[in-house]
Amino acid sequence: MNKLYKNCLAGGLAGVMVAGMAIGAMAADIRVGITMRMISENGQKYGQMVMDEIDMINKSGGINGNMIKPTLMNDECKSDKGVANAIKLINQQKVHLLIGSTCSSVTLPIVDITAKASVPQIIPHSTNGKITKKGSAWVFRVPVSGRFYAGVNAKYVGENIGKKIAYLCAADAASQNDCEAMQKQMKAQHGSEPAYVAQVQEKEVDFRTHMQKIKSAGVDGILIAALAETMARALIQSYEAGIPASVRRIGSSSASNSPVPTIAGDAAKGVFFAAAYAAADNRPIARLFNEMVKKRYGVHAPDHDFSQAYDLVRIVEIALNNANLKLDSGSLAADRTAIRDSIASIKNYEGLASGPISFCAAATPQCRDGNRTAVLIAYSKGGKDYKTEVLARVTMPADFGL
Amino acid sequence: MDFVINFDFSSLFAFILFGLTIGVVYGIVALGISLIYSGLDIVHFAHGEVYMFGAFFGLVFSKTLGFPYPVALVMAMICAAMLGMFIERVFYRRLTKGGGGYTVAGMGMIICGFAMSIVLMNVAFLIWGAGAEPFHVDLGMPYQFGDITLPKSYALTALMAILLMGSLHYFLKKTKIGLAIRAVAANKDIAYLMGINVPLMISLIFGLACGLAAAAGVLIGPMQSVQVEMGYLMLLKAFAAAVVGGFGSLPGAIIGGLIVGIAENLGAAYISPNHKDIYAFLILILVLMFKPSGLFGVVARVKA
Repeated sequence: MNKLYKNCLAGGLAGVMVAGMAIGAMAADIRVGITMRMISENGQKYGQMVMDEIDMINKSGGINGNMIKPTLMNDECKSDKGVANAIKLINQQKVHLLIGSTCSSVTLPIVDITAKASVPQIIPHSTNGKITKKGSAWVFRVPVSGRFYAGVNAKYVGENIGKKIAYLCAADAASQNDCEAMQKQMKAQHGSEPAYVAQVQEKEVDFRTHMQKIKSAGVDGILIAALAETMARALIQSYEAGIPASVRRIGSSSASNSPVPTIAGDAAKGVFFAAAYAAADNRPIARLFNEMVKKRYGVHAPDHDFSQAYDLVRIVEIALNNANLKLDSGSLAADRTAIRDSIASIKNYEGLASGPISFCAAATPQCRDGNRTAVLIAYSKGGKDYKTEVLARVTMPADFGL
Repeated sequence: MDFVINFDFSSLFAFILFGLTIGVVYGIVALGISLIYSGLDIVHFAHGEVYMFGAFFGLVFSKTLGFPYPVALVMAMICAAMLGMFIERVFYRRLTKGGGGYTVAGMGMIICGFAMSIVLMNVAFLIWGAGAEPFHVDLGMPYQFGDITLPKSYALTALMAILLMGSLHYFLKKTKIGLAIRAVAANKDIAYLMGINVPLMISLIFGLACGLAAAAGVLIGPMQSVQVEMGYLMLLKAFAAAVVGGFGSLPGAIIGGLIVGIAENLGAAYISPNHKDIYAFLILILVLMFKPSGLFGVVARVKA
């Protein structure tokens, strides 16, 4: 009896192990690491959107029967934290794919880490042109690069506003890049030199001295390149300094973020900027997306960081479906390469972005800055119930601004 | 960015005006720091966060509860004063009993201040979130002086600051409680012997200082919006103002605030706009090098 019991137990255990291995061979996790700036309410919602969309993929059967296992980390828009997150996700979590980051200053150093570790990295929000100029074969950008934004802005400004432009540039990497690219484009397209340039701290609160000097300079427009809350303060103080509404306020792409019109209130009216998505977009997909974001996250009108987070997950879904992943204990490097190649093969993805997104194999900005369509947007109303209008939509050549 | 000397003297008056309006705010916060220092010989490093809490209190009273701006300011001061007294009574009292200044307890108090700063910031984060909140106050059309536009909120800030300073001066110099506070500031042991309730006076000092910080927060709100992280830089600037004016000197704190405010605005206007925050700390270093006791301070010494 005892022997029979032992034999049964051994047989049972062996059966469970075989069954487990078989299930393991059939379905495994695709590990995705995410590092984003989640120190603001919207930042948390962008991260939540990525997680929710991945969850929905899993609930509808996953990727060829395999579940996506996301790990979301907050880098607080700090380079050191972003780098630590990336190292942890790559070396400890052994992720197949890294998503991140929100801030260019964080994404820039992570590009070197993913390149060295041979891990595909796909970027949700960072716009700094230098990210794809590093020549990494592992990086892909879903948002529009700053070089395209600068081209669109400069064309519109030179043709419709004037050539005497003041520049207020915050010290973060994206804003610095936006400012430099815009100055370069104004010079290239219109032969215009800056009327006033000043660098301000990332979280500067007092712009009055700058505004007084800008007022004295008698400019046609002011480019404010800064993160959303800083930009909102600068906009308010530009009016407090007595700079008239006829001097147009131009925002960097972060003007798309809801804190700008919400905090700036009436000072946001007339501010225009180039972004990847306009909530005023009339396409049915955009209407549905606006409704979904409003219902799910309580956001009055989604900005392009929401649409980019959504598009990114869809692109990842397509790439993972096409990647023919092995997902066994020895296939991590091969699976990472397969995901990279699969993302690189995506052509003409049509989603929320205002134009198609395409990648290719070469490790160049032409191949890795997949979204080349910028939409020029203006706030027609500030405050919590802000409204936007689309001024123009332009698709730029792949090698523009290089 | 390069340093560019740009002598735009046509706007000189405007730059001085901007310096004065922000300088009085630095001065009010510095006044609180100096008040606590004069009472306990310690620097309260959580004072920036009390200033931030005050701004949020003002926002809640003004925006959420619909009180008029001046009422919201007074209510925020009262709430912040109560918060300060609560913090002092519950967290700092054990340490202050052991002595301040250069004692081990004094050092513990400074470290406790740092910890309190982090705690308050996280509490504020939990309550109000990390985003900046607009603090719109409609005071009507701005004043116009030639080419210079001065919003009424700036003028109100200066006016309120003068009122607060005047009231504090009167309170400290002309009332019995003020006299008791000054006695505690001069020498706690002798104050005890004179029958003064020293712990209560220390609580009052904290309450007053925190109320002043709240007033500064509510005054700055319409200019710069309100945010959890707003206290850190303000503390550093106010600290610079207190050192320049002379630690422990109440008029010195205000004068120091004005000097710092004007210096950073003129520096930004005429030396380099890219390094605005440097000027406050440059003055701080120069004062510490050449007049460590500050412009109005007494020679540093350990109190009996």
